[in-house]
Amino acid sequence: MITFRQRIRTAIALLTAGALTACGGTTGSSANGTIEYWLWDSAQQPGYQKCADAFAQANPGLKIHISQYGWDAYWSKLTAGFIADTAPDVFTDHLSKFAQYVDLKVLRPLDDLGPTSDIEDGDYQPGLAELWKGQDGKRYGAPKDWDTIAIFYDAAAIKAAGVDPAELQTLTWNPQDGGTFEKLIAHLTIDEKGVRGDEPGFDKTHVKTHGLGSEGSGGGGWGQTQWSAFTGSAGWQATDKNPWGTKFNLDQPALQDTLSWYFGLVQKGYMPSYEEIGGANAIGTDKQIQSGTAAMGLSGSWMISSFTKLTDAAGKKLDIGLAPTPIGPSGKRASMFNGLADSVTTLSKQPENAAKWVKFLSGEECQNIIGQSGVVFPARPAGTDLAIAYNKSERKLDVSPFTQQVVDKTTFLFPVTTNAADIAALMAPRLDAVYIGSSPISSLTKLNTQLDDLFKVAQ
Amino acid sequence: MTTDTTPKVGAAPPAMTPDPPATPREPHRFSAGRALAWTFMILVILVSLFPFYWMLRTALSSNNALYAGSDNLLPVQTSAGGFERVFGLQTGQEAIDAGGAGQAINFWRYLFNSVVVATLITVGQVFFSAMAAYAFARLQWKHREKVFAFFLAGLMIPAIFTLLPNFVLIKQLGLVDTLLGISLPTMFMTPFAVFFLRQFFLGISREVEEAALMDGASKVRVFFRLIIPMSMAPITTLAILTYIAAWNEYFWALMVSYTDKSRVLTVALGVFKSQTPQTGPDWSGLMAATLVAALPMLLLFMLFAKRIVNSIGFSGIK
Repeated sequence: MITFRQRIRTAIALLTAGALTACGGTTGSSANGTIEYWLWDSAQQPGYQKCADAFAQANPGLKIHISQYGWDAYWSKLTAGFIADTAPDVFTDHLSKFAQYVDLKVLRPLDDLGPTSDIEDGDYQPGLAELWKGQDGKRYGAPKDWDTIAIFYDAAAIKAAGVDPAELQTLTWNPQDGGTFEKLIAHLTIDEKGVRGDEPGFDKTHVKTHGLGSEGSGGGGWGQTQWSAFTGSAGWQATDKNPWGTKFNLDQPALQDTLSWYFGLVQKGYMPSYEEIGGANAIGTDKQIQSGTAAMGLSGSWMISSFTKLTDAAGKKLDIGLAPTPIGPSGKRASMFNGLADSVTTLSKQPENAAKWVKFLSGEECQNIIGQSGVVFPARPAGTDLAIAYNKSERKLDVSPFTQQVVDKTTFLFPVTTNAADIAALMAPRLDAVYIGSSPISSLTKLNTQLDDLFKVAQ
Repeated sequence: MTTDTTPKVGAAPPAMTPDPPATPREPHRFSAGRALAWTFMILVILVSLFPFYWMLRTALSSNNALYAGSDNLLPVQTSAGGFERVFGLQTGQEAIDAGGAGQAINFWRYLFNSVVVATLITVGQVFFSAMAAYAFARLQWKHREKVFAFFLAGLMIPAIFTLLPNFVLIKQLGLVDTLLGISLPTMFMTPFAVFFLRQFFLGISREVEEAALMDGASKVRVFFRLIIPMSMAPITTLAILTYIAAWNEYFWALMVSYTDKSRVLTVALGVFKSQTPQTGPDWSGLMAATLVAALPMLLLFMLFAKRIVNSIGFSGIK
């Protein structure tokens, strides 16, 4: 008892002594020449650190402090920072968030700052820079990278099915019979007895490997890695105009027929069900291909590095191939085209210095550094070419399925609207219900009315 | 490796399972009922320990191979990479190649910060709450019960309501990114701690206290010399609960911390969680990190488990 008490006392004494010496100091955005910069993707941090070092060398007296926070923490912390004046000078911005920040007046128009006033739309891949202009026509973000969608496939599964990989480069689909695309995924689907999806006796209720992986219902982000490639190639647009549309098109047959076909693949056993992939917290296509749950799947160009790292249970690298999204009823392929940008906050005490850094981030030198790190495709064409070369030499991967659509102009832009958070909150449960099969496709007509109403209220 | 760590992890639960009723006259009698009871209990223990085993198994797997052997009971492609990332022994590029975050991890610094924060909160909260509890339990003053009722209403306020006001206050005090800033909101008291101790102080016999007062002891002296020693068991219990809660606190610490100097373990381990909406977490790193972060708490529990249980029964004059 005594010893116990003495132990407690000594411990407390020691620890408080330590505690009291460890406190003190303050932080926040200040004008001392250190620019606070935030990003959420840790895989990109090494590349941007190189940019920061180059920037500090070119601008004596200025230096960059980079902080990385995971996606969820990032936005909570940023919001708190805007309220309590602890926000960074510059941060990586996202299209689904930026409209709200413009409304809250926490982003500084880049046109009003010396260094960034002369950013040219034409320096970037077509369409990227325009995404970041607010409804007032001012520029709130300087483009840093872009992404498109393509098919990742397990080369071993394709080979075992006796399919020539070249066939994957020219797939077509339509909402009636699914075209050559559906034929292929049917053939790649294998049930627990080893019967393929296009053979007699196939048991669709006990599927071992699905032909096509799934990343959920796509309600949270306009089906970017789920169905947007199909609705896009059916000629469908989400809103009446983009950016800043106010009327929605979820009641159109082009969308409803496409989704009816797409989610119908679950009933046929060619695509995993909502439960199989973990419901609302779906595991990604990469994990599904790795675990043998799927033979191929749609995913974004930001996932290239994740896919090329995958190994089998024995540690041997998987052979992953790429194919473009299939050609649809419109006679063309389609891919959503999306990108990130850097924004300056109104809370920055050194907006001109912050703008200098943004200018550097969106400039040739930094984007070439990022291109050579091979994590994303930089927004400038020269940087893009370096990323393509990196993938060819380091990963033996031909990334043209991602880049060709930009060249061929078969991309469409991510729908940028106000009320993005409300839209996602309305869409996610409704599309989940369609995916699960508890609501008919026609329920999306009512959802469309609700989305339109959002804009009647909140004009 | 696995066999000698698993029992350690589960050292606490068996302490909580009551012994089966022993019949002293026939200690070796075997009955079907007893066998069933034992089987059931072993089953319950296994079920409650399995998640710990699964964490360990995932921590010792390679992240890049994890999903290739998701139905495998043993680690997939055994590697200590997860633990290496936790202790910051891998270079950024190595960690990224292994499916990790590539963040510089200053593990010992975070551990120190966590210990400091948890200690500050525990010592402060227990001490000040004990004083308040004594005032509510033993001192007579006007509107005492009303104040106490009002005080208890504080239990009903969700933490998220006070988050932003607290954050703005900490910012105005210039304590953002300090360990004191992380500790401050719960350092002086929580309604629960006051309520908890008041209940025990109410149970201490008045005669002892009155005798001390008759002998000329002041209220302060009574509090330190009598009330506190007599309530050592509940105070220890509260201290342990507070310590564990402070240790596991995540969101507030995340809000206040901006650099390594105030980053606590829970926040630092957030780098193992999802980095972007689409890429998955570094599962093996995350599980290794969770095990390492839980270890001090398990040790604490093992040291004090008996005292927590004992604090339900009391010494002293009733």
